[in-house]
Amino acid sequence: MATKSKEAGKSAKYTAEVTARDLQPEVAPDRPKLPGDKPVVFPIEFPESEGRKQTPAVGARATRPDGRLHGMGQTKYIEDMSFPHMIYAAILRSEHAHARILSIDTSEAEAIPGVLATLTGKEFANNSFGPTLQDQPVLADTVVRHLGDGVAALAALTPQIAEEAVKKIKVVYEPLPAVFDPLEAIKDKILVHPPRSNTYTSKVIKKGDVEQAFAEADHIFERRFTTQMVEHVPLEPHAAIAMWDANGRVTIYSSLGRITLGREDISRTLGLPQSKIRMIGTIVGGNFGGKNEITHEPVLALLSKKTGRPVKGVFTRGDEFISSTTRHPFIMDYKTGVTRDGKLIARKIRMVLDGGAYCSWTGTTIGKGSILAPGPYNIPNVHVEAYAVYTNKTTTGAMRGFGAPQVCFAYESQMDEISEKLGIDPLELRLKNAFHEGSSSPTGQALHNVVVKDTLEQCADRFGW
Amino acid sequence: MMVQLKVNGELRSAIVAPETTLLGLLREHLGLTGAKLGCDVGDCGTCTVIVDGISVNSCLMLAGKANGCEVTTIEGLATANALHPLQQAFEERGALQCGFCGPGMLMSAKNLLDRIPQPSTEQIKDALSGNLCRCTGYTKIIEAIADASERMSGARHA
Repeated sequence: MATKSKEAGKSAKYTAEVTARDLQPEVAPDRPKLPGDKPVVFPIEFPESEGRKQTPAVGARATRPDGRLHGMGQTKYIEDMSFPHMIYAAILRSEHAHARILSIDTSEAEAIPGVLATLTGKEFANNSFGPTLQDQPVLADTVVRHLGDGVAALAALTPQIAEEAVKKIKVVYEPLPAVFDPLEAIKDKILVHPPRSNTYTSKVIKKGDVEQAFAEADHIFERRFTTQMVEHVPLEPHAAIAMWDANGRVTIYSSLGRITLGREDISRTLGLPQSKIRMIGTIVGGNFGGKNEITHEPVLALLSKKTGRPVKGVFTRGDEFISSTTRHPFIMDYKTGVTRDGKLIARKIRMVLDGGAYCSWTGTTIGKGSILAPGPYNIPNVHVEAYAVYTNKTTTGAMRGFGAPQVCFAYESQMDEISEKLGIDPLELRLKNAFHEGSSSPTGQALHNVVVKDTLEQCADRFGW
Repeated sequence: MMVQLKVNGELRSAIVAPETTLLGLLREHLGLTGAKLGCDVGDCGTCTVIVDGISVNSCLMLAGKANGCEVTTIEGLATANALHPLQQAFEERGALQCGFCGPGMLMSAKNLLDRIPQPSTEQIKDALSGNLCRCTGYTKIIEAIADASERMSGARHA
């Protein structure tokens, strides 16, 4: 239902204000034509894409180019790689959901034979990262904001030594009151990132007049829907190998799915120009959105700089659950006004997203979640407001759908409730309200190639509704 | 400690720390990185190898316990000339996406077909109950195993 057709590409503003003549460069007529001479003419014509047409490829069996190596066990994921003199990192994680760090003592760990270097957050040029808002420390140095925060790291000759030695790092904490319920957090009584409010991003979408429409509705349906936190659980844990060479360049092999974006973050944390950072993305053993940002890469890089050795770091399954990102839990209050014959005329939605301790990809999630929250239905009056709040819990970020599954659970559950109460067949209720060709989305986009009704009808036909 | 075992038909030995798992021995000492470490607690099955005819989670088996055993790993499935019918079927049916669960899935499937050459769908599902996949939804994996079973029985009767 993208808007790339001819009609949608025609922006009212551009057609009114900019014409092809305005953009014609003033050149001498006898001058030879240069590539830049060809003006962009608005509105831009989008020819019907060949890709949109049904081709014989649909339904045909496709094999993956890497399928053979996978089946032979020959694919090299990060953990299958090693380099001469490679050593192993371990990260000490917080003991508290929220606490001030009073001191970190690494001396006992350093004294263990086989430990080559230790590292704390203060050693980073900029101890903050994040794909959109840089609010997350690489290693927490002043405050821990959830149990998965790393506070110190070390590198040792074997993974066993690293794992044992990291337990000898002594951290003294002053526990702080923590907030876990997003509905409490939104009151700002306990601040996760003081002095900033816990509500770190919000979105409002308005269309028509919901209050007026509620007054006219025959039935009003109101219910709260909640969803839980979900971890991606890729079978391959986050893994990376960093090698800092004598020329001051660092090479990082990483299971990161977005290496170019990740390099920006690594560059900032290390205070190293991007030209000195070589990122090598490998085959990823499952991402699902959980490997869209850096995690321990800067830690491994600095440990490599300090030791002159390649340093490998692999998350344990426990680290995966507490230190990688998860799906946002949503608390969604839905109020829907319906006419006697089952037409949706107004929908008001208030959502609170549990943002966890750091922002990560919350901006994308709240945006997509809000736009999709009213559902694929023609509702003339819509009001959506959504707030994302910090809590002292595992960071929530990108996961398949960016908020779409949460809101779908809510609006479809309510559709079932409406159909039951009004005695309308659930399929009929949806067909009555579903988007059709040219429908307008809650944010006013004209929708094209809309096949919701056809899909529903075909499905119903196939499973014999 | 010294461990001596037969891996994919070849006699191998290594000196390992007593806490080393069979998976650690295979991956770090023998250079066979096909079997993976996924969860380290025996839940995901991506470390599955066959030890004396039984499929095991090699992350839970100590290397010392494998002394004198015969071990088959994913590296021992294909010959120099041909893929194993299971590997062929997995590839053709797109049963592997990210591939990380593949080595374990294939070894569980191999063990099943060794014991039951023509398994029912229920028996295939049962044999895969210790192997997790987060990409495929299992459908194509189950189809691929049934397909391989047919090919193999066809070859036997030919």
